[in-house]
Amino acid sequence: MEVIVDCYGVTARLAGGPEHVIGLTPGARIADLLVVLGARWPELGKVLPGCACAVGDTVVPRTWPLAGGERLALLPPVSGG
Amino acid sequence: MRLTEEPLDLDALITGSGDARSGALVVFGGTVRNHHEGRGVTHLNYSAYAPLGEKLIAAIERETLARFKVHHCRVVHRTGALGIGEAAIYAVVRAAHRREAFAAAQYAVDRVKHEVPVWKEEFYSDGGSAFVEGCCIAHAEKGVRSIFPDHHSVHRGASKKWI
Repeated sequence: MEVIVDCYGVTARLAGGPEHVIGLTPGARIADLLVVLGARWPELGKVLPGCACAVGDTVVPRTWPLAGGERLALLPPVSGG
Repeated sequence: MRLTEEPLDLDALITGSGDARSGALVVFGGTVRNHHEGRGVTHLNYSAYAPLGEKLIAAIERETLARFKVHHCRVVHRTGALGIGEAAIYAVVRAAHRREAFAAAQYAVDRVKHEVPVWKEEFYSDGGSAFVEGCCIAHAEKGVRSIFPDHHSVHRGASKKWI
């Protein structure tokens, strides 16, 4: 199955772009997705422990099960204001 | 709209918030400065994740109203490219008295800076750019808290993590 990951802030720079289609094994959770991202982009992997993931307007935990076809937002530590 | 690429209109924010019960009006404005940690800054770029950001700012406004018993609280944040001196954020609070109005404005701005998915990229006069490192978004996993300092510093790729 595949999910679409939208990278925000510094994560877009570290992943070489803002949008990525990621292949995952069925039954994968957010935590598994982050492992795949970290393996593909090691510099991104260094900041993933401080990132949150969101689906739509909701922040989802690392245990969140993925069904495939989702669009996820990867949100690094924030620095507004 | 609390996140917008358009220049922030302070007059409209104030005019639209009038309240006969209020004797205090506090406005905080955050503007782009030309330096950060000893480096000259030429301009900034703010990006945001709007679906969550709009929801969180609205929730912070509601919680500020309830916590401080103020009559009005509105926070708006600019996105996109901003030059030196331009307004990045305004918080407008109206209350019966100044004490709760000042406290509510500070509370609302602090929470927006620490929780809302907005990212600041600084561009320097000596070349290059960097994302300013900030605060982890509180998320749904129980017991998780941020170890990021309140003072935002430049991102150096350090491996800070949830604890």
